[in-house]
Amino acid sequence: MKHLFTSLALGAAIVTAPLAATAESHSDLNYVLVSHAPDSDTWWNTIKNGIALAGEQVGVNVEYRNPPTGDLADMARIIQQAAASGPDGIITTLADFDVLQGPIKDAVDQGIDVIIMNTGTPEQAREVGALMYVGQPEYDAGFAAGQRAKGEGVTKFLCVNHAIQQPTVGERCRGYADGLGIDLGDAMMDSGTDPAEIKNKVLAYLSANPDVDGILTLGPVSADPTLAALEENGMAGSIHFGTFDLGEEIVKGIKAGTINWGIDQQPFLQAYMPVVILANWDRYGVLPGNNINSGPGFVTKDGLAKVEEFAGEYR
Amino acid sequence: MTKPIIEMKNIEKHFGAVIALAGVSLEVFPGECHCLLGDNGAGKSTFIKTMSGVHKPTKGEIVFDGKPMNFETPRDAMDAGIATVHQHLAMIPLMSVARNFFMGNEPVKKIAGISFFDKEYADRVTMEEMRTMGINLRGPDQAVGTLSGGERQTVAISRAVHFGAKVLILDEPTSALGVRQTSNVLATVDKVRKQGVAVVFITHNVRHAMAVGDRFTVLNRGQTLGTAQRGEISPEELQDMMAGGQELATLEGSLGGTV
Amino acid sequence: MADTPPVDERIKEMAAFRTALIRPELGGMVGIVAVFVFFLLFAFDSGMFAAQGVMNWSVVSAQFMIIAVGACLLMIAGEFDLSVGSMIGFAGMMIAVFGVVLAWPMWMAIIITFVICISIGALNGFIVIRTGLPSFIVTLAFLFILRGFTIYIPQTIERKTIIGGIRDAAEGDWLGTIFGAKIFGAVFRWLGDAGVIAVFERGNRAGEPVVDGIPMLIVWALILVVFGHILLTRTRFGNWIFAAGGDAEAARNSGVPVNRVKILMFMFTAFCATVFATCQVMEFGSAGADRGLLKEFEAIIAVVIGGALLTGGYGSVIGAALGALIFGVVQQGLFFAGVESSLFRVFLGVILLGAVILNTYIRRMITGER
Repeated sequence: MKHLFTSLALGAAIVTAPLAATAESHSDLNYVLVSHAPDSDTWWNTIKNGIALAGEQVGVNVEYRNPPTGDLADMARIIQQAAASGPDGIITTLADFDVLQGPIKDAVDQGIDVIIMNTGTPEQAREVGALMYVGQPEYDAGFAAGQRAKGEGVTKFLCVNHAIQQPTVGERCRGYADGLGIDLGDAMMDSGTDPAEIKNKVLAYLSANPDVDGILTLGPVSADPTLAALEENGMAGSIHFGTFDLGEEIVKGIKAGTINWGIDQQPFLQAYMPVVILANWDRYGVLPGNNINSGPGFVTKDGLAKVEEFAGEYR
Repeated sequence: MTKPIIEMKNIEKHFGAVIALAGVSLEVFPGECHCLLGDNGAGKSTFIKTMSGVHKPTKGEIVFDGKPMNFETPRDAMDAGIATVHQHLAMIPLMSVARNFFMGNEPVKKIAGISFFDKEYADRVTMEEMRTMGINLRGPDQAVGTLSGGERQTVAISRAVHFGAKVLILDEPTSALGVRQTSNVLATVDKVRKQGVAVVFITHNVRHAMAVGDRFTVLNRGQTLGTAQRGEISPEELQDMMAGGQELATLEGSLGGTV
Repeated sequence: MADTPPVDERIKEMAAFRTALIRPELGGMVGIVAVFVFFLLFAFDSGMFAAQGVMNWSVVSAQFMIIAVGACLLMIAGEFDLSVGSMIGFAGMMIAVFGVVLAWPMWMAIIITFVICISIGALNGFIVIRTGLPSFIVTLAFLFILRGFTIYIPQTIERKTIIGGIRDAAEGDWLGTIFGAKIFGAVFRWLGDAGVIAVFERGNRAGEPVVDGIPMLIVWALILVVFGHILLTRTRFGNWIFAAGGDAEAARNSGVPVNRVKILMFMFTAFCATVFATCQVMEFGSAGADRGLLKEFEAIIAVVIGGALLTGGYGSVIGAALGALIFGVVQQGLFFAGVESSLFRVFLGVILLGAVILNTYIRRMITGER
């Protein structure tokens, strides 16, 4: 009986721990970050770590929210919910302007400060009344990548898109094609998010299109399986391979020379900066006068040390 | 006796190359319990399915109430007054007795031009009918799942009679029941017969047939082996006819006459 | 046998209040009480029970209700529809394609979309009935087929997977209003002026209440719940739905048009999904290829929390509505309570399991299953 009681008490402690964690506040400032990423997207772990670190350093409460399946209509509800809970600021992505502008404008009108991060454009951020935009303009980044790839000799490419339902991510492919100066055509592949499927789709595409000499992946979700596919068909190292974002496998790939470069949009900054900026805005009324471009930065073999050390955590 | 309520004349039913019924004739009079006996595969189910409109006969004629009939669907047969109570498929256990009782024949009343299910009427009638059949319900909402197998058969039989069945086909109503429940069902059959309903009682249990039957028809390999009046035939003879005589006699010997 | 049968001594007399209590909805009611007590304790001052917070979880619950009503009736009729989520995405995309890309009048776009989607529902039902395959498989196929078209169609004609501008296209459209408007605005304005609910502090809507009306989405949810409940419990067709799901063969033997009932229920489920989609695109102004992901499971979960039996023949629309409310309140409430968002699934799983165990127990008491 006593045993049962202690285990019950332990159980209750575990269940209430997440409640207690946020209940013991060390500050009166509360910020919520809302993303569009489904639970399965591990890339956003860096964002979670970024806001947590900023919250700790600046001494404010931060929370991370996302629609479990990545459904943007659900995300709109989460922004409405966040606004209803009355935080001091909301940091959010603007994955679909039509869907999200209403809830964001409502939050702004309600007196909540909003910063747009990651997805969206500076123009859209201004239109919804956000303080600023922190991120990497997708098309521009893709275009820069395309220009660089062209200089490195790419003539026909495959763009592995694991987030086909998100139009802004697709912009990267479009920018890349325009940067190369060729038509996108059917070069954008809807790969899905399952690693085995992505790998096999890439293998199939490459054997059906032997003249492809460049691959662009849009993040670790598509890069890791693509890397595995290239190892398997022996094209690793010989085909030009660029990717968006970083991750443990991508870093290894760059080091091994299989991946030519990774485009780092430095997600850490996208999470860290808004928290710091909001806190200083709320405390002292100071605000940088411009949007912040967190990327693009090309990460090549040189300068990998820090990336390697903090990959998946802060990089 | 009066005129037969239903006559099946020389019914044949072929499924492709298989001849399930090779010319079966039978008539049933109002108020009589006509037992249809036969071993598995004798063609009993095909025959009653033909009678209840599920199958159309390949050859032969069905005369119902003096008129030749051609049933397109079971619904036609039901509308004419031929109801079938199946062994297992009569009742839906999760539904209440009242809902089961009126399944397919729901009473409606109009409120503001829209037809609604008349629950009050359904509940009242169900309780009355059940009381006369000797089933004590907690309430009309009691689920059929809480009733015993015999009680379910009784609900199904009284339902058929309530909705004006003139011919009631009982497909092995006693085969899965215990002794006491079987006698309850047989008592119900007796009650129904006395109300003037023609009962076609399908079974392969000779003792159950002898208990309520007025006449007995034996089917074997798609053919009738003849019809006998009550008192004209002994249970042993019926048993023999059902099994096709010879082999069973030997088998029965080795089992000590217990079958 | 005697006319007054003897009382079977093995059937215990049941107290009247106990019989009144033991209903299919009981599990849902218990759940509602538990959920509200929990959130009143842990999230009372978080804004969850202020006007804006209430509206937030009400809208989310209403969304679940709309699809849960369809899924509930279909499940009671003995079938599943796994294509609900994809149908939501597909219907929204059709409205966008007709109303924005082809620039048809919005009412026409909406009506044509309803016709197409309900026809697909009928096709689902027809294939299930004709082939005798489990509806699980047939609708799983449509889950992929519809999602595929929802991505393919806009990509082919517009080279993108989100089509916006629906709100502008629907401006002033009578049918669009029925799905996208808000009602009782005056009441809320008055409440805002009276200081009962908060008002916007800045922007061009400063002074207006933060909640400016009841969205038609909620009205639709309530209408569908009432309609579904009456259809199921108070009409002849409702009895057929129970019968078709309880035992299709027995129902057929009793003259119930089982095939027609099932096909109509597939069509009704598609109708509900299309209502969901139409309200969504009218509110948010764009249709995306990702809309409605996994919504079919959320509908089924709400229905099961509400006490329906997965194998059909038993359940309640009111129960499903309560299940949807529980789902919505828990999903949004956990955010208010400040619970780490990844734990949402844990809570959901616990609630689902608890509800199913409780419901099984209740159902056994009612139906005498063993």
